[in-house]
Amino acid sequence: MIRLENVTKIYNSEVTALRDATFEVAKGEFVFLVGPSGSGKSTLLRMMNRQERPEKGAVWVAGRNINEMPDSKVPHLRRNIGNIFQDYKLLLNKTVHENVAFALEVIGRPKHVIRQQVPAVMDLVGLAGKQDRFPHQLSGGEQQRVSIARAFVNRPLILLADEPTGNLDPGTGEGIMRLLDRINKTGTTVVMATHDQRIVNMMRKRVIQMDRGIIVRDQARGVYE
Amino acid sequence: MWSRLTYTLRETGASLRRNVTLTVAAILTSAVSLFLVGGTFLVQRGFDNLLSKWAGGVQMIVYVNPEATPDQITAIQQALSANPTVIDVAQLKYFDKTQSLAEAKRLFAADPGAYALLNPSNIPTEFKVVPKAGKLDLLVQLAESFRTQIPKVQRVVLARDQVEQIAKLRDFVQTVTVGLSILLLIGALILIWTTIRTAMFARRREIEVMKLVGATNWFIRIPFMLEGLIQGLVGGLLSCGFLLFFNRLWTNGVVKLKGDNGFIALVVSDSFLNSVMLGVVVFGMVAGAIASGVAASRFLDV
Repeated sequence: MIRLENVTKIYNSEVTALRDATFEVAKGEFVFLVGPSGSGKSTLLRMMNRQERPEKGAVWVAGRNINEMPDSKVPHLRRNIGNIFQDYKLLLNKTVHENVAFALEVIGRPKHVIRQQVPAVMDLVGLAGKQDRFPHQLSGGEQQRVSIARAFVNRPLILLADEPTGNLDPGTGEGIMRLLDRINKTGTTVVMATHDQRIVNMMRKRVIQMDRGIIVRDQARGVYE
Repeated sequence: MWSRLTYTLRETGASLRRNVTLTVAAILTSAVSLFLVGGTFLVQRGFDNLLSKWAGGVQMIVYVNPEATPDQITAIQQALSANPTVIDVAQLKYFDKTQSLAEAKRLFAADPGAYALLNPSNIPTEFKVVPKAGKLDLLVQLAESFRTQIPKVQRVVLARDQVEQIAKLRDFVQTVTVGLSILLLIGALILIWTTIRTAMFARRREIEVMKLVGATNWFIRIPFMLEGLIQGLVGGLLSCGFLLFFNRLWTNGVVKLKGDNGFIALVVSDSFLNSVMLGVVVFGMVAGAIASGVAASRFLDV
């Protein structure tokens, strides 16, 4: 589903964020990217939906080299990739329902599809009945569920998660992980950057460990260390 | 399609409301600058109208008494043609009563009352005289002799007396109005640009989310372009109001300049005014939309 070949990313022609990264993620896999801050986890995620382009190497997503893709095709690539973030990135002036519907609206989905898909995904993330609340009326865990609903409502092939539990207490974080696990079981490939040891050790999924831009470990059913 | 349209209109409306001060500033600046652009065309056209009877290098007009017989007119033509060293005989033109009336209709556009007093029995016919190169001084002497010695010549008018000062005035006015309208147009475009940048900054989170979920750049850009287009449209309509008002004021003022100075012709026709107004509205809309589109693209980083 995702393949990186000798990817090197240099910022401002001096800071090397990634060096010669090569790995492959199969369809339906769940992968943790771990490592300290600044080790290149976020840069790796941003490579996968072409928010960044590498100086060297190739990034393949769903069989296409996305660095050679014309700009006009990038929106269509991103419709197949959901994104969730540590700070949720919800629109504060929109209700829960509007936040999720927005993702379908701006890619031109018709109204009847929106009416059908939004309540379904709200059920999935466990927020049925809260669709008319505003983000500030929700707890952090609930806000992250809204952002997961928004990322998943279009049924993407891939979900990229950047420290999704970073702002949450341990119990709430576990709830989010159970939700991501369920989504993964529907066949969606999940790549998650984190430095939450407890969660990595609890899930026992594949772990790719980064250190100063270099992949130092790639282990199936791994732990954080 | 329908949901895209409602989305676009809703976003455009919200953005215009959110940003009232800058929007009003952009609209007013575009109104004033478009008014000056339109005004430049009107002033130019007025001068052209005023100078039109001298078009084609004509330096002397011999007005012939309306009751002159064909023989007498032929005599005047022969007297003019008898000076081939001074006059370019090939370019000598005679305006009969029909042509002279048509010319008067254009020159007296501001004062239909004055034009109504003219008819074939009282309008003078005209010989338009182009001198040979470098023979202007001799033409002036010739004019003097025509005034006094040729029968049925009503009067002889030299361009030198009227035209040169007016042409200089026209060039001066043109430089000033063109310069001012370019400056103000730049100001208006910068303001529209700034409005769009501000609107996009206010919505940067939304735009970030839109890009991440795969909205196309055109989808993101179009509400902003529509916003710029509306600013240009409203500015253009306001400028039309200014143009109508000042043109009426001007025309009324010109009519009061009675006398034989020819300034009565310093006006434009309604059809010309209408096409200038249409032009500034269309130009305002297109320029507003393009400036916003470019501003949006720069901010979208595409």
